[in-house]
Amino acid sequence: MSKEKGFLSTKTIKVLTRRDFVSALHGWGIYVVTVISFLLSSFFLGRYLGGIRENNIRISPDPLSGFLFFPSVIIISLYLTILSSVSVSRERDQGTLEILFYGPVNSSAFIFSKYLKEMLTYLIIVVFFFAYFWGVSGLTNLGFSLGLVKAIFLSIFLVSCWISFGLFISSLTSRVRNSILWVVGVFGALWALYFGQGLLLSLSTEEMPAFLSYIGGAVSVIYQAVWWISPLSYLSRGMDAVNVGSIWLYGMSILYSIIYSVVLIILSIFILKKKGVRG
Amino acid sequence: MRKIVIFWGVFFGLLLHLQATSMAQAPIMSEQLVYSLNVYNGKGYGGAFTPQTEDTIYLIANKNSAIFARTTLVYFWPITAKFMAGWQTLNEKVEGSLEILKEGKLVKSLKPQDNSLYYPEGYWGENSVLSIDEEARTYYEKYKKAVDEYYQKISEFYKARIEHRKKMDEFLEEIKKRREAGEEFTSQEIEKSIPKEPKPPEGPKFYTTEPRQDYIINLPAGTYRIRIRAEGGTIIQDSQKNLVVFTSRRTGGTGYEIIPGNRWTMREPCDDPARIIYAAGKNTLYFNPFTQDEYNELYYNKLEDPQNPGRVERWRWVHITPIKDVTLLFLKGKEVLQRVKRLPYSVKQVPGATLGYNIIEYDQEKQPYEKPTFEGYKLDLSPTLENTGYQINLEKKTGGFFKGGKREVRLVRKENSRLLYALSIFPLVIGVVVFLKRRRRLFP
Repeated sequence: MSKEKGFLSTKTIKVLTRRDFVSALHGWGIYVVTVISFLLSSFFLGRYLGGIRENNIRISPDPLSGFLFFPSVIIISLYLTILSSVSVSRERDQGTLEILFYGPVNSSAFIFSKYLKEMLTYLIIVVFFFAYFWGVSGLTNLGFSLGLVKAIFLSIFLVSCWISFGLFISSLTSRVRNSILWVVGVFGALWALYFGQGLLLSLSTEEMPAFLSYIGGAVSVIYQAVWWISPLSYLSRGMDAVNVGSIWLYGMSILYSIIYSVVLIILSIFILKKKGVRG
Repeated sequence: MRKIVIFWGVFFGLLLHLQATSMAQAPIMSEQLVYSLNVYNGKGYGGAFTPQTEDTIYLIANKNSAIFARTTLVYFWPITAKFMAGWQTLNEKVEGSLEILKEGKLVKSLKPQDNSLYYPEGYWGENSVLSIDEEARTYYEKYKKAVDEYYQKISEFYKARIEHRKKMDEFLEEIKKRREAGEEFTSQEIEKSIPKEPKPPEGPKFYTTEPRQDYIINLPAGTYRIRIRAEGGTIIQDSQKNLVVFTSRRTGGTGYEIIPGNRWTMREPCDDPARIIYAAGKNTLYFNPFTQDEYNELYYNKLEDPQNPGRVERWRWVHITPIKDVTLLFLKGKEVLQRVKRLPYSVKQVPGATLGYNIIEYDQEKQPYEKPTFEGYKLDLSPTLENTGYQINLEKKTGGFFKGGKREVRLVRKENSRLLYALSIFPLVIGVVVFLKRRRRLFP
């Protein structure tokens, strides 16, 4: 095996990442999605300030690092997951993957460059986050706290889970349409499962009709089964860690996210190798 | 015609009957062996019961807690979504000895002991102590004696009051006669010679419950299993439960109960030092500081009531004793803006049909027959204060700050909430700049 075709050729990764990253910066997607996520945060923030206005007082942990930041992360995560999910299948669909693999590109360098590109895109969004929340803090005096900095830092690892999840889906599918359908479907199903479980847990088993208690049991089992698979549970764990303020939970959340990302990237490389450039 | 009348008569009769049955639906009761609990909760004792649906009892380590097994009727109460015990209908003691096992080995076998609760500040006071055996009986005897003495004093007071009325009548009669005879008196002279009204006696300040027989558990932290062995040596069915004995994670913190002046009944806790007090506009806040211990949320919630929900990965602060001998400081950085003393306050309804109330400082001389509604440290947040970050802290009499008493107070700018939407658009502006730069580079 030549040096250029090594497991992780730095030069190849650099070139591929740069090509995709510059293309992402010149597109409108990153800006439009960030604006949508900020509008959503502004909406929640407006309601939060409305609550203070009504009662003249509110006692809570820093709202910016808690429930006001994470809606933005969810929107951005969905966008980056879709982007990463189409990244492999689009190149495969258009035939560019085959051309790239005639050159000094291999599966690991290709997948890794795609992952890096999405992570760099998110780091640009992190800069926007800092600017937006600094502005929010100045306008409302809610305070730019250390908790918010911790939440933003943690979000890098949580988003990494979503990106690697998207790449994994992408390596499995051959067509762009299928990738998007899979990601949106899985995203929707995970959300439905997350909310469904919360809703069923809030009902009393005594009042619940028999069929609902069976569904509740099944949902609970599925929820437990996907607890370590779903990137949503990593986000939920991360939110808890920031809200509770536990350093241990915070550290574990980062560690779990890294392990999750590494496992999915390795799986994606393995699948791409197995399926080949034509799928 | 008669058929139609009969039809509608039967129809409405059935309808009313159905409505009546649905309104008076009796809960389904089932006979169960339950544990009645009187457990130490960090500041005193609280009662609860463990139905069959709960397989674990939670207790605080190295403190006496009283439990006892009883057979009662249990029913589900949908309003609170909890099981309730029908003690009035059935309350049968389950006799035997309580066995405590750790990792399958018997560590203790307990017999029921006399115990009673002693409330040093009265039944409504914040503290209670569980006394056992001879001490329980002595406390109860002491309480009974104090109650008997009180009734004796009450009887003497009524006699003294009748005597006082007689003397008063005689005194008034005498004054009247002397006035008619042309004698004149100053109000001071009358006040000096008027018969003094007897004061009603004060009841016993403490309270003690009648001794009862329970198993007294006092164990180090750990997980155990309990069961009841009957006199004949058999294990009583449904008496086996898990027992989790736990301690606090952190002790000696400072928590606050905040009473907002604009809705004094809605008290807000501010226990976690990471919590921030956000305020807007003119407001008055009354702070009540407490020492507090931090317990596992699930364990403590289950200790208070075994049917309470909770999360094992969360922690909660529990108020233990009020902090009184301190001064509350309102600070901006290191600059002290206000020094506040703890004072009693009375809540007075606005007279007339108008709804509303005023919170006034309690004055014992002006309100001799009233008790203050609450005590606290009053902090006025004036609308002229700069919208920025402030702190509150507790200064000890001996100097220095009380541990964990610092909290952040932020006065928010609510008028800027509409500008947030404008702020959200800035990434799009950057996008336009990038687009124009690229366009200029491609098409110079």
